[in-house]
Amino acid sequence: MRSQVYEWSNLQANANQLRRTTSDLPVAVVANREYDIFTGGLGNNITKPAETTATQFIVIEDVAASPLLGGAVQIRINTTDYFQNPDVTDMSGIPGLASPYPRGAPSSIDTALATAGAVGDQNILKSFDLYPDVYVLPGQTFQILYSSRDGTATNSTVIVSCFLKYTLYDGPDALIANKLLELGVTINPNNVDWYKRSLIEQQQRSRAVAGGQA
Amino acid sequence: MRSQVYEWDAARETTPQLVAGYLGNRTSIFVGGLGNNITKPAETTATEFVVIEDIAMTPSLGTLSTMPATQTVRGLITAGTTNGILAGVAGPRGYVQVRINTTDYFLDPDNIPNDGIPGAASPYPRSINFQPSFNLYPDVYVLPGQVWDALVTFYCDSFAGTNFAAGELQCFVKYTLYDGPDALIANKLLEMGISINPGNVDWYKRSLLQAQA
Repeated sequence: MRSQVYEWSNLQANANQLRRTTSDLPVAVVANREYDIFTGGLGNNITKPAETTATQFIVIEDVAASPLLGGAVQIRINTTDYFQNPDVTDMSGIPGLASPYPRGAPSSIDTALATAGAVGDQNILKSFDLYPDVYVLPGQTFQILYSSRDGTATNSTVIVSCFLKYTLYDGPDALIANKLLELGVTINPNNVDWYKRSLIEQQQRSRAVAGGQA
Repeated sequence: MRSQVYEWDAARETTPQLVAGYLGNRTSIFVGGLGNNITKPAETTATEFVVIEDIAMTPSLGTLSTMPATQTVRGLITAGTTNGILAGVAGPRGYVQVRINTTDYFLDPDNIPNDGIPGAASPYPRSINFQPSFNLYPDVYVLPGQVWDALVTFYCDSFAGTNFAAGELQCFVKYTLYDGPDALIANKLLEMGISINPGNVDWYKRSLLQAQA
């Protein structure tokens, strides 16, 4: 099991860019459009949609976005959006103001100014904690969708970012994660270790009983 | 067992080097030839076990595409004119990757190694303006006989001059070194599927003593 992160920004040198480069420039984000941070074609992307193989299990522990321009972030598993309105209608997800990235970032930026004073003096801290975590089971596809209510101006483009923190369980750890899910136990590194220990203890007891009988 | 830290600063050498030579390249904080380095690659001997508990680097903050170069935003300098481009990023837009032997620890969801932890997610130093979003848990284990490294990559020419200056590009690693019998216990805990930390190593020692008594 490994702790993993993914950071996305609207910085790119070319469309559908895979790696970050030193020539990246801010590009416009259209208002109220959902951008897949993995394969949305804007900013840094990856080679294929994010998915788990048969021997992987992902636990998403945190999502965050710039607290600017009405930014929000939604998690989609296969075709289902995780965050919904109370009337079960679609919503844009967790607001960047509730889960800011970076933590302590400003919530306003004055696009008319081109000096350091353009950046607001607020330090936005998180109001939201992704608990319980979101599970991506083996064989599922997931998307992280960033949207901005206001969008960016084209003449003075604001840089926005999105952040994802997750733990990847692979091989035997993924099997244990599935077992914990069946048992209704929260999947986290501690509980995976606990399950391993209980298996070892069980084996030792079985050996001791077998030894006693012989 | 001993709690250890390593702080790296790209400017900490007799004659600070040119920024341009390192932009977009991965640089080892131990033996990369930039800033303060050590005498040989970081490795564990047969009787050592290292647990990396935290890794952090200089943060960055996105501003505006029209922000002129060398403005100071929250203590960070905005990107300069590398290739004639104004990127609008304050800070180096830096990332740090952990490598064990030849394997990179941090991967993208398509299982391809990425640049690592962003400085914006795990800032060093921490401040009111820059607070951590990331906690390295589970820890990273460096088993006996393995070589490990922390590799810094930065993409923005966010520096006051053409050479690195103190505090403009830094990295921090916190780890615990288990040696001698503690390393043996750490290996045993690993076999048992128990997290390796000073508390669990002490618990194992106590259980051994109790079994003897």
